[in-house]
Amino acid sequence: MRDRAAIIGVGTSRFSKAPTDTPMRLAAQAFKAALADAGLARDDVDGLAINIGWPLGVDYDRFAEALGLRIRFADQTWTHGRFVGPTLQHAAMAVASGLARCVACVCGVCFIQERGLLGGPGDFEGTREEGGTHEENPVYGLTAPAAGAALSAQRYFALYGATSADLAAVPIAFRKHAALNPAAIMRSPITLEDHQGSRFVVEPLHLFDCCLVSDGAAVVLVTTPERARDGAKAPVLIGGMQGMRAGPDEFLFAVPGLGIGQQREFRYTPSEDQLSVYRMAGVTQRDIDGLYTYDAFSPLVWFVLERFGFCGIGEAAAWAQKGRIELGGELPMNTSGGLLSEAHVSGWNSIVEIVRQLRGECGERQVQGARVMQWATAWGDSTIFHT
Amino acid sequence: MTDYAKPLPRITPDNRTFWEAARRHQLALPRCAECGRFRYPPAPICPQCLSDRFEWTTVSGRGTVTTFVIFHQRYFPSFAADIPYNVVQVQLDEGPRLTANLVGVANAEISVGMRVQVVFDDVTPDVTLPRFRRATA
Repeated sequence: MRDRAAIIGVGTSRFSKAPTDTPMRLAAQAFKAALADAGLARDDVDGLAINIGWPLGVDYDRFAEALGLRIRFADQTWTHGRFVGPTLQHAAMAVASGLARCVACVCGVCFIQERGLLGGPGDFEGTREEGGTHEENPVYGLTAPAAGAALSAQRYFALYGATSADLAAVPIAFRKHAALNPAAIMRSPITLEDHQGSRFVVEPLHLFDCCLVSDGAAVVLVTTPERARDGAKAPVLIGGMQGMRAGPDEFLFAVPGLGIGQQREFRYTPSEDQLSVYRMAGVTQRDIDGLYTYDAFSPLVWFVLERFGFCGIGEAAAWAQKGRIELGGELPMNTSGGLLSEAHVSGWNSIVEIVRQLRGECGERQVQGARVMQWATAWGDSTIFHT
Repeated sequence: MTDYAKPLPRITPDNRTFWEAARRHQLALPRCAECGRFRYPPAPICPQCLSDRFEWTTVSGRGTVTTFVIFHQRYFPSFAADIPYNVVQVQLDEGPRLTANLVGVANAEISVGMRVQVVFDDVTPDVTLPRFRRATA
């Protein structure tokens, strides 16, 4: 799949903590912005890949109907941010295989009005009789995605001697990035003292370890490299991909082997198979000019660093200190501010940021000379982009 | 009638025996009749060898805390009075990990690696929840 698909345009709505718009209105704004960015007309889009659908977002059928889209490749992933990568990959495979000419990846989410889904009595997924995907078990009061990340953080702390103060480096870094991003919701700097003094949500996670609950939309238009070269801006090519992982070695919010829930416990070292995205793209970790991940909770940043071999197992807490993941550091991460400080557009805001960075459009927060950037998650999917 | 307001387990054909055993104050898990592996959550097939044959087997109820969290944010109104309350994951000596609460231990004293023993809490006339307490030596 190397260089068989490209991003021709991106668009976003306003990001907000004030719930004034519906997901449809936000998604429509982002869609029109993406068309303008690409220099495309509405009828150039014949594929639609939705993440996230109702009740947090809009479903594929309503979106196509409401915007008058004639769709011949419709796709919709489960109501979770973890499907950012897979949705984008479906779009890339659809254009590469000729099932569609141009696929709009659409995420319009209103987390604020549906806040009850994020924990408590409205958390219907937590009532799955085998437990929820973040280990939810309401019978014992275990609910909300934050709890899954907290379970992992606690065990990581115990195994490797890391602390909450080590974790603070993650939200502090991303807040610095957000301060350089006019679209970010939270732009005031935070300090270690602010982090440690913020209330616990699910201990050991403090408030500043948890992402924003916000409303917003992002649209990414995927087409073939040939078509993308005719777009309004330079194309961003998809150089490599690898899919989301599942099975006995996995817990969604942990590096393999940590031993959360029924996850097998072992000392993980990334295998060839775990790193196939680099082989497909023909690059290595050293070529990555910026790493972007689903940072709903700050421990997830550690897990992705270890999972993809940027550092060894148990080393991320120390590795991510001293500005290493900040702009100007060795490996800038989530340069828009991510879910922790820009907005929770499920991670699509980071895909948009990658495109803008690779085009050199990011002003004060531009990664100088950015050529290769990577999306990768704690649950093992990854996509590598390049100019 | 009961005034128990917290969420109750969803009883299904796969997990009914687990909850019936809990009512008798026993901890029982499905054990593969082919390869001997214990599994949890209850499921009709062995994740190791795919055998359909299994037996519900009473286990020791002894295990080790592998991780834990303390809830400070109120999500369930029915848990509000318990905040800050703990939730632990316990690896049973037989292998599978259970999620539950640890009783009789102050939150500040919970640690990964702590040895624990199951206890049973009859929360309604029909439902008994396994929880854990610190193991006695």
